[in-house]
Amino acid sequence: MATEQPKPATEEVKLDLFEDDDEFEEFEINEEWDNKEEGKEAMQQWEDDWDDDDVTDDFSLQLRRELENNSEMK
Amino acid sequence: MAYPSMGEAHRRITDYLNNFSDAVSYQDVASLAQLFSFSSNSPPLLSVADALNFFQDANRLIKQSEKFSQYGEILAPLFRSLQSYRTGNLVDAYHAFEKFANAFIQEFRNWESAWALEALYVIAYEIRVLAERADRELASNGKSPEKLKGAGSFLMKVFGVLAGKGPKRVGALYVTCQLFKIYFKLGTVHLCRSVIRSIETARIFDFEEFPRRDKVTYMYYTGRLEVFNENFPAADHKLSYALTHCNPLREANIRMILKYLIPVKLSLGILPETSLLEKYNLLEYHNVVQALKRGDLRLLRHALQEHEDQFLRSGVYLVLEKLELQVYQRLVKKIYFIQKQKDPSKAHQLKLEVIVKALKWLEMDMDLDEVECIMTILIYKNLVKGYFAHKSKVVVLSKQDPFPKLNGKPVNS
Repeated sequence: MATEQPKPATEEVKLDLFEDDDEFEEFEINEEWDNKEEGKEAMQQWEDDWDDDDVTDDFSLQLRRELENNSEMK
Repeated sequence: MAYPSMGEAHRRITDYLNNFSDAVSYQDVASLAQLFSFSSNSPPLLSVADALNFFQDANRLIKQSEKFSQYGEILAPLFRSLQSYRTGNLVDAYHAFEKFANAFIQEFRNWESAWALEALYVIAYEIRVLAERADRELASNGKSPEKLKGAGSFLMKVFGVLAGKGPKRVGALYVTCQLFKIYFKLGTVHLCRSVIRSIETARIFDFEEFPRRDKVTYMYYTGRLEVFNENFPAADHKLSYALTHCNPLREANIRMILKYLIPVKLSLGILPETSLLEKYNLLEYHNVVQALKRGDLRLLRHALQEHEDQFLRSGVYLVLEKLELQVYQRLVKKIYFIQKQKDPSKAHQLKLEVIVKALKWLEMDMDLDEVECIMTILIYKNLVKGYFAHKSKVVVLSKQDPFPKLNGKPVNS
């Protein structure tokens, strides 16, 4: 009879225990690459002055409408 | 069996032994390293493995000549490991490999020059991946997986052999990176600390002298540690180093660096361009970036919910959650600009009830007290400059630079 509790699937969990989704790919022992072009592209695609005080985007226009709905803003 | 005769098996094994002995005599490290590279599954290595399983008594061949028997401690377990590896007994293969590796570093220690480093790299790599596979075998048999931990202890020993003064030190960073991979996998990252200290405090060796591939890997992992420690300027420095110096053809690695660098940069007020997110398929960050640009608290919340599992797994969830203050800042700034367009003379007086209304629109029900609390935090963290007029429930913004930018510095804590 089913008196014994079914064992939880611990093995499955164990197999999954040791994981690092972001393990860095191994470079070859003698892997060489050109120092000049490397990574530059990815280093340039950032904006540190993105805060341009623009309030004409959709979100801002909706916000404005929302705030003006009541006459509380003078 | 692919072997027509005992003689053929005998010949293959003897060839292998001669290759080993020649490689050591002539300090031919490339040939030596090939002999240990199990995971390459190279046809010559596999055929030796088959020969060993066919011949069974390879120890006799090792003992037949002084040339081989002087390395018996290295060769006998190496053969046993190769045999088990070929027949798929990975736990046995691991045990024998560890014996072989220990005997090899004994020998390596005695060699004055660093000629055999590359072979040691191969051993360090092989023992790690073999341990991972052995652990999978153990776990599937319901036993406790512990080989990877053992490989970690072995590699600490190797680190000790390399980390002193002298020409072998250049190899210490490779071993460190293998250790990082183990510790990150086992979730014992605190063990990284002692090796990091040893690498970073050494005055006798300049970090820049290590091979570039190791420097990039090292900076990736130590950058991730700084993310966990919420030390964002240091994380930015390390991960940016990894990004700048990584082989541009290694797109998977660049993607992994960016996966951590993006939340770090966001917390410093620096945003990635959409093209970067698209190129490296990191679109899970797209709405987070949009939320920051707009001041859209609802979008931030949704973006975090949508990719919650992913962000939690990589450990950046808490970093992203803290962006909320920056999004509040942006929202208040928008309200300020909208007011300014209507009536510039009164724009610097911000009524709390106006903020309450904006938040309600963003599906956040907060009363005046809660909003007052948020505004107090923004002022305290220097995201808003001004003071709070408690009685009239108004924030009076500073006329000069009321919304200071982060300019690459973290939010005050």
